[in-house]
Amino acid sequence: MKRLSIALSLVFLLSTRVLAHHSFAAEYDGKKPISISGIVTKIDWTNPHVYLTVDSGNESGKVTAMVVEGHPPNILRRTGWTRDILKVNDAVSITGWASKDGSNRMAGRQVTFPDGKKLFLGPPSE
Amino acid sequence: MKLIHATFLTLVSLTANGQSPATTEKGSTLPRSFDGKPDLSGIWQAFGVALFGETGELRPGQGTKSSWGPPVGPAPYRKELEGKVAELASDNRKDPNVRCKMAGVPRITGSVVPLEIIQTPKKVAILYESGHAFRSIPVDGKPHPSDLDPSYLGHSIGRWEGDTFVVDVVGFNNITWLPGAGHFHSEALHVVERYALQPDSTIYYEATMEDPEVFTKPWAYRLILRHPPRDERIMESDCTENNQDLEHIVPSTKP
Repeated sequence: MKRLSIALSLVFLLSTRVLAHHSFAAEYDGKKPISISGIVTKIDWTNPHVYLTVDSGNESGKVTAMVVEGHPPNILRRTGWTRDILKVNDAVSITGWASKDGSNRMAGRQVTFPDGKKLFLGPPSE
Repeated sequence: MKLIHATFLTLVSLTANGQSPATTEKGSTLPRSFDGKPDLSGIWQAFGVALFGETGELRPGQGTKSSWGPPVGPAPYRKELEGKVAELASDNRKDPNVRCKMAGVPRITGSVVPLEIIQTPKKVAILYESGHAFRSIPVDGKPHPSDLDPSYLGHSIGRWEGDTFVVDVVGFNNITWLPGAGHFHSEALHVVERYALQPDSTIYYEATMEDPEVFTKPWAYRLILRHPPRDERIMESDCTENNQDLEHIVPSTKP
């Protein structure tokens, strides 16, 4: 029991550190992966998170403005991003996970750029 | 003022560049500052993306071969306070970090973004990218002031015990959390940090936390601090700039 307790404590300590600002599971559902494709309409290069707003259409033609959360600029800068690597009106594909509160928000994991380049936007869900 | 600034920079430069291997108490070699103390200066990081290259992966503990580091065991809260810890842990909105409060000691040491140590014989400064915070730690043998107002990072005094830099910290407020979720503390918190430079240019960091108002015994937290694999610099980070999380976090139904 003590060993289990220590192991759980360890997991707790580590998992709460994966995201710089908040726990992943507090806001997003790691069991609901989603993929979107669309046009970037807004880029918030801000702390504590970068947000991309993407107009994403579904098969019936309905367009949804999806807000995609990513790492803060300090981490993205260290993983190959720059503030202007992506521009409004760029066509992108993004994988990630749905929000828990039912809003049109998602945790972004990987962005595919117009030229096919791929970069991680946010952390894994685990 | 310019002269003082230039002198300080020269001193810092000497400290950073004046590394000369010397024999430690145990016979191994450590990078040393010009005054003979182990040289702790530079950029350090316990976890996070800067340590693991441009993959975007945040894998806490990755690359750790040593047995140093957590586990530290469960936090030894008094029985009657365990329910409060669980309640706080169940709602991420209550985490002071999520509310953009400055992290305290030692939680700030385990941030995913780096810190920088600037070492001089009489003062050690730690600059944290997290919250753009800093600590100025005198190494002059004087005790803590008796009239401290509670603060997020407390009041620190440093001393050398052999090759280990030891920092005694008191004067905390009760707003910050300790490492882990829901780990609140009182203003009676007393932290003793130990920074032990290793021959492989890592720092074995240990923070022992005592808080008689919430703990039944002292609790230890351990990390290995490493230099990022390439040049890094401490960047600015203002958490309050665009914090949208509070209105979208969904509390857990099972604490």
